[in-house]
Amino acid sequence: MLKTIALVGNPNVGKTTIFNTLTGLRQHVGNWPGVTVEKKEGIFKYRDKEFLVVDLPGIYSMTAHSVDELIARNFILEGNADVIVDIVDSTCLMRNLFLTMELFEMGAKNVIIVLNKFDLIKKKGVEIDIKEMQKVLGVPVVPTNAKSGEGLEELKRLIVMMAEGKITTNPVIPKYDEDIEREIEHVSQVLKGTPLAEKYPIRWLAIKLLQRDEEVIKLVLKYLGQSKMDEILKHIGELEQKYKRSLDIVMASQKYDFLEELLRRFVRHPAEIRETLSDQLDKLLTHPVYGLISMVIVFYILFQFVFTLGGPLQEWLDSAFSWLGEAIAPHIANETLRGLIVDGIIGGVGAVLSFFPLVFLLFVGMSILEDTGYMARIAAMMERFLRVFNLPGKAIIPMVLAFGCNVPAIMATRTLENERDRILTMLVNPLVPCVARMVVITFLAGTFFPGKAALVAISIYAIAIALALLSALILGKFFIKGEESPFVIELPEYSIPSWKTVIIHSWERSKEFLRKAATVILLGSIAIWYLSSYPQSVGTGLSYAERLGRAFEPIARLMGLDWKAAVSLIFGIIAKENVIATYSVIYGVSEESLAGAMVHAMTPLQAYVLALVTTLYLPCIATLAAIRAEGGIKWMVVAAVYNLTLATVVGILAYAIGSVI
Amino acid sequence: MYVPLTALNEGEAGVVVDIQGGPNARAKLVAMGIAPGVTVKVIKGRGPGPMIIAVGSSRIAIGWGIARKIIVRRV
Repeated sequence: MLKTIALVGNPNVGKTTIFNTLTGLRQHVGNWPGVTVEKKEGIFKYRDKEFLVVDLPGIYSMTAHSVDELIARNFILEGNADVIVDIVDSTCLMRNLFLTMELFEMGAKNVIIVLNKFDLIKKKGVEIDIKEMQKVLGVPVVPTNAKSGEGLEELKRLIVMMAEGKITTNPVIPKYDEDIEREIEHVSQVLKGTPLAEKYPIRWLAIKLLQRDEEVIKLVLKYLGQSKMDEILKHIGELEQKYKRSLDIVMASQKYDFLEELLRRFVRHPAEIRETLSDQLDKLLTHPVYGLISMVIVFYILFQFVFTLGGPLQEWLDSAFSWLGEAIAPHIANETLRGLIVDGIIGGVGAVLSFFPLVFLLFVGMSILEDTGYMARIAAMMERFLRVFNLPGKAIIPMVLAFGCNVPAIMATRTLENERDRILTMLVNPLVPCVARMVVITFLAGTFFPGKAALVAISIYAIAIALALLSALILGKFFIKGEESPFVIELPEYSIPSWKTVIIHSWERSKEFLRKAATVILLGSIAIWYLSSYPQSVGTGLSYAERLGRAFEPIARLMGLDWKAAVSLIFGIIAKENVIATYSVIYGVSEESLAGAMVHAMTPLQAYVLALVTTLYLPCIATLAAIRAEGGIKWMVVAAVYNLTLATVVGILAYAIGSVI
Repeated sequence: MYVPLTALNEGEAGVVVDIQGGPNARAKLVAMGIAPGVTVKVIKGRGPGPMIIAVGSSRIAIGWGIARKIIVRRV
């Protein structure tokens, strides 16, 4: 068994950078069992020894009000970590050490404190006496600057020593006033001797009971029974009467007082909060008007960067795959096998894989925005507007990314802390038109509405976005319940991102995309190839795809469309551009002369409905695969059914309204 | 004088006396350093957009809804 090292800390303290330094490229991302919270693990090698590093979710406290906190708390409580590396932002010691105090209160002894961003604190004129700090807190303390790598060698050395049991610690434990200490003692006596006391530190259980921690109350109730529990709660109620406020607030306040006393012994402040340049910038960037304008500019630059750099790469990959198909084809004698490999696998998977440069670059851009601290400002600015639609401010990030490609957008929902927010954002995200759908929209708008193409295209975008917001409003109100998280966001200090972190982060996330291409997308492509080639190829009217199209024809008819549209939409599930490509196969014309053929076969209204339905119906398989990976099969099915229903209803309505006009 | 945080003007500071609101919101605020006894300073107050307050050297953007539930003593 490898010894386990757990990284704990507040968000934005530099945990990821330290995790990357320890594990390098020997890491992988998954989900914690049962929940969609990112689980990062990696192997840390030191000389000839290996350790498992687990990056726990970034949290402010161990109150277990969110899934993230619960994960971190249970991981520590269950004694899964041989060494706990507690990463502390030295520019914000008080709040960061609050979490450390909770850690100590939970009985954790095997802790190393990392004082990260130590270079910044010096600049601010704050002095920290490390030796005294170690003595006061009772555990080793290492000052570091994760970005430059300063102090990390020392950290590695300490980790190994602690893992091997060569360091003894004596963590300080927060003390409360007499009344509370007496009550803690009283509750501890009641708990003594129960099986719980063997599993968890008694003092911690008692403190959590005083704070009316729901999880702990449930746990203790099982062992003590209702009557003893009632007695404890009665005592707590009496104390609260005395303080005239709830004990969690009283204890938090006392814990901060206790911490302040400790800090006085090893920190010298010039303190005095002064307004800084970044405060001025914050006011501007969180302003509903100026903030919005700057956001539009920033995202415009982001998309320029992604498409100027990624566009040619995508085209190059696309032609590389066609070349590969053509090169391989003559060497496969068996016709079925050739079809499977060339059209099914290389054609289908290649179409999706060619998007990889775009996905990767989108993640690079997003990581940069995140690491500079800008994302938090956008989230703060958008909070008010998006809350109206039951979405958190942070949801703006996946929503904007979705204009590029829904896949990284779905993956970006990971940055949302709350489960309900995440599911909701994930479900409405596919309604935002991506580049592939833009191709279909602009083709149809340009072909059928010459002179008014832009207006038509914009109307489709507007309908799609309005439906996304409306869906969030309705789904959030009636179907996806859960507690709304209160709006409090830390605005991290602006900083220059570390390239290493940006690249590793983007690679880690986009690797998922490749993995999907190798599994779900591969299977999907093969299935669709099969449907379109058997028993005879598309165009003959006999293929399964065409029969399926005819089966769906009654529904298509309601939207004013025919079986050809149904077939195109089925193929569009691989990648939405296929909607157009399929028409050229059915009509047997090249894509260049398709416009002419289609104008004769369709009315502008039908074209409009087709563009609209293409935008709204089932997302492409890559997106469905992303939803499955992030939220599980259940939400993938919900998303598919929801989008399909919505597209059908809107399509029928649009046709009906259009026919009247 | 005890007032809600939202009553402070830009540049004014206050010491937190109490936090009302549900346990979830309370716990989140406390963990972010906004606890009774702590001094907070308003960086951006009235006007559109969220409030921005300074707690120690960190900056926190906070919705008006919860800011109203933080009771402070003017300093």
